[in-house]
Amino acid sequence: MKADTARIVLIQVASLAVALATWEGLARAGWIDPLFVPAPSAVARSFGSVGALAMAGLADTLAKTAVAYVLAVVLGVAAGVAVGSLRALNDVLHPFVVALYGMPKILVLPWIVLLLGYGTAPAIAYGALHGFFPVMVLVVGAVRDVDRTLITVARAFGARPWQLYLKVILPAIVPSVIAAMRLGLVFCLLGVLVVELFAGIRGMGYVMGSLANAFRAPELFAATGLISVASIAIVLALDALNERLSRWR
Amino acid sequence: MAVPLIAIEGVSRRYVTASGPIDALRDVSLSVDAGEFCTIIGPSGCGKSTLLGMLGGLVVPDTGRVLIAGRPVSGPDPRTVATVFQDPGLYPWRTVVENIEFGLELQGVARADRLRTATELLGPLGLRGFAGKYPRELSGGMRQRVAIGRALAIDTPIVLMDEPFGALDEQTRMLMGEWLLEIWRRTGKTVIFVTHSLHEALALSGRVAVMSARPGRIKSLLELPMPYPRAMESPEIVALRAKLWQEIREESARAMSDA
Amino acid sequence: MKTAVARLALLAAALFAWEVVARVGSPLLYVPPSAALPALRDLLLLRSYPDLPSHLALTVREIAIAYALSVVTGLAVGFALGLYRTVGRAYGPILAALYAVPSVIWYPSLMLFFGLDAASKIAFGFLLGFFPITLAVLAGIRQVNPQLVVVARAFGARPLTIFVKVLVPGMLFTLVGGMRTGLALSVIGVIVGEILGSKAGMGALINHAYGLLRTADYVALVMVTLAVIAASDVAASLVERRARRWTE
Repeated sequence: MKADTARIVLIQVASLAVALATWEGLARAGWIDPLFVPAPSAVARSFGSVGALAMAGLADTLAKTAVAYVLAVVLGVAAGVAVGSLRALNDVLHPFVVALYGMPKILVLPWIVLLLGYGTAPAIAYGALHGFFPVMVLVVGAVRDVDRTLITVARAFGARPWQLYLKVILPAIVPSVIAAMRLGLVFCLLGVLVVELFAGIRGMGYVMGSLANAFRAPELFAATGLISVASIAIVLALDALNERLSRWR
Repeated sequence: MAVPLIAIEGVSRRYVTASGPIDALRDVSLSVDAGEFCTIIGPSGCGKSTLLGMLGGLVVPDTGRVLIAGRPVSGPDPRTVATVFQDPGLYPWRTVVENIEFGLELQGVARADRLRTATELLGPLGLRGFAGKYPRELSGGMRQRVAIGRALAIDTPIVLMDEPFGALDEQTRMLMGEWLLEIWRRTGKTVIFVTHSLHEALALSGRVAVMSARPGRIKSLLELPMPYPRAMESPEIVALRAKLWQEIREESARAMSDA
Repeated sequence: MKTAVARLALLAAALFAWEVVARVGSPLLYVPPSAALPALRDLLLLRSYPDLPSHLALTVREIAIAYALSVVTGLAVGFALGLYRTVGRAYGPILAALYAVPSVIWYPSLMLFFGLDAASKIAFGFLLGFFPITLAVLAGIRQVNPQLVVVARAFGARPLTIFVKVLVPGMLFTLVGGMRTGLALSVIGVIVGEILGSKAGMGALINHAYGLLRTADYVALVMVTLAVIAASDVAASLVERRARRWTE
């Protein structure tokens, strides 16, 4: 088993090395225009020059994402529990929610910027909007999937409505809430980046946008790499948290 | 003549389904004295669970009423009635002890007190050493014992059991039956026990109510005055079994042909 | 029946509330339905934006090309990863990791490479649509009952036959679902690309209207764009339903 995994890792590392080497080779031989696709060595070197700028931008973006995220999760879970547990509400609202969920929310972004101006407010609002829907939809599904017996038992033991929510429904949907939180984070981050790119607001999106406009390809690739790594790291951390909290399953 | 603890008076219940109305129960009456172990037996779909639901305050009768200690049932009352379902319905995120103390927690009992009550029950439940385990680590029989422990923890005079051993294999069933009998005799509670199993009805109860096929009524009542533990091979029991089977057979056949 | 009435009532109430709030607040900013509908009429009659059809056609073309590319590449990569186990196990996790990254971060690089032309929108739409299709292929292959393949082989079927007669029907439903998601995402990719900066297409018109504070026209443009998107999704769901009937 161990040998098998080692083989897989070897293939992955080898492929990566070959790809990088080929890329470097093509760049040096002049087969690809360094203006558009810089050599890996150039990208690596540019980490130094763009590092500070990128990190500052990243910090800015993540700060806004954090606020948007808290909003999206709190509102999404609340709405999800409300809609999921009241069957009448769910039946009536379902097609509207699906329609809103599937609609490209960027269509309302110009309006949001018009409304809230150019600052952190539209980034947070749009980021929250982006993350809200997947969270809510997942939570609605989870609430409706709660084992009916668990609810019947609680009622048989005299649970009052608030006890049903607190002691049965909420604990039962924890795994789904965590999955929703994982999904929501990527969506919130996405929303914030889009606003930064669209409205030229401070942050990683703005940094990357200006690097692109200035044709500074090596720095742009470095910045892209940086935020990819950050994003993957956050998602992995959330997955680890998920594992820790699911001991009872 | 003492006032019966439980009095079911002429209850009926109709369900409206997509394929038309279904009369689950029609004019069912039954009275149970305190301390009795009364079994309700009948074919599938005869309304046993509905009847139990009425006793537990989860189902409202269309006609008639259910009285407990002379007062009509108007909703789940965890001070008088505890229920055990066929699906143990344990909360997977709670440990054994936390599951047992669930009812006490709902009633606002202090943490130290309910912990004590739950832990004391572990011995009689045969679950000593499993206090901190989660339901997924337990066998089917153990889970059902936790569910029964949960019902016992709130110390109600009446315990309802809806085919509690239905999902267990035969050997486990028989052992659980013996164990339940022991608990009943120690606590003196009134037990209403719903089952399909003739063996259980004969081994455990003092009285057996046979229900007809849908729409359910009480077809007949059999008294079982024999002492415990029951000598299942004795002539009286054998004769009763034959009689019981005769009663049930007709109804089961009717239920099968209806379905 | 009752739910349909409730939904209509909700919709009517929402429109009414929107009208009131917009009038009381700032009609320019909030665009009440009474202002949006005339703007929509003007738009459809080509009065406000006479070259609407060419922009619309461009956007639709971008979506079509992006989606076609997603499908071809998605299927190819999906089957390569799914049918060749070692390849799948080596590159599958890398793919999953890339999917965890917010897709918009690729856009600046695409902008640098392709400029503001249609190509960058097509590339972005392709990137977004590619992932769900690949993942659907992988999931679909995984859920095909291996016993069916064993039986086919026992009857002497050649690999190509097995592929066509066993694998494809078995995974068709999952695959079609993934392709439907892929379409939705390709659409989003193209629209996002256009709004983030383009010279032509519906996104460009939207930016134009928004830039000049022609909010009513902006709302009308959004409605038309949504209609096109909804139509594409309805078409996709019809195909999905047909596929479901085939596989059941």
